[in-house]
Amino acid sequence: MSDDHDRAVLLVRAAQRGDTIAMNELLDLLIPYAGRICTPIALADGPDAVQETLVAVFRGLRTLKEPAALYGWVRAIACREAVRVARRTARAVPADLTSLPGRGDPQLAADIDDTLARLSPEHRAVLVLRDIEGFDEQSAAALLGLRVGTVKSRLHRARDSFRKAWSS
Amino acid sequence: MTDNHPAPGSAARPDAAGLDPVRRLHALAAGVRGARVTTREIAAPYDTIAPLLADLDGELARLVPDMRGLRLTRADGDRIEAVAVGRLGLRARFDGIRRPGWVWLQSRFLLIGMAATPSATAPDHTLVAFTGGVRVPGHAALLPVAVGRAGRRVLGRLEERVAG
Repeated sequence: MSDDHDRAVLLVRAAQRGDTIAMNELLDLLIPYAGRICTPIALADGPDAVQETLVAVFRGLRTLKEPAALYGWVRAIACREAVRVARRTARAVPADLTSLPGRGDPQLAADIDDTLARLSPEHRAVLVLRDIEGFDEQSAAALLGLRVGTVKSRLHRARDSFRKAWSS
Repeated sequence: MTDNHPAPGSAARPDAAGLDPVRRLHALAAGVRGARVTTREIAAPYDTIAPLLADLDGELARLVPDMRGLRLTRADGDRIEAVAVGRLGLRARFDGIRRPGWVWLQSRFLLIGMAATPSATAPDHTLVAFTGGVRVPGHAALLPVAVGRAGRRVLGRLEERVAG
């Protein structure tokens, strides 16, 4: 990541000077990063969320004063856009976990995806930031524009939903 | 809001995050002030369209208005250099990136970006996108002159080319 980070800083500076070839290379670096955040939150709408994220990133690139802050800035935009896109397409169905298969099911990965799909985008975003990206509650709250207490309660509810599904 | 479109059926062309070349073009054009992205679904398979975009020495110069010829001078992986000759005989050196379904060329005064991906809705159709125009020298910006019309002309010529 540090090589990517150093390279990204150079590319941002070149892009801000007007070099669109550097913008192409920066896009190559940012696509997988945005995808890692957007896809588990937006699920089937992941490509839309990644596109919206990168449109917002490139539109705002010239205003980014500190290129070293690039990845944190992109992460915040990706969280926001992924939740927004997932909400927009009405995938925010209330969790109904009663029909989920139990822990012993051989299709465990599919089960996890299925469980995630039944959570709201907001719950998926909290799970991604805390349990996949490894952020603490304060950082996750800052990224999602929420109070720490809200993140804690959402995380509790999301994990509780998983627990019930596996033990049913 | 941007012009989103569904990912195509082919899993080979979008990258792991699901960004096919047309989606990439929308993202990149957002970083170029004054740029417009024109898209058109063309009734020809991707495997017919993509080689036309890649053919800098032949087809591409015929598509772009005011360009009399374009010659590839260097290719190193996906990085390319080319020299273009305008209708008035002026020459311009381009740096660029060429990949399957993707060509992006910048000179001091011009920017050309084209992308193609299989249609998500119609078999054997291809979604093609264009952005470009006269560049503000040294900036990621285009002069706001006829950028939409240029896109329509390029994609119209491409449509005529594959129909003929």
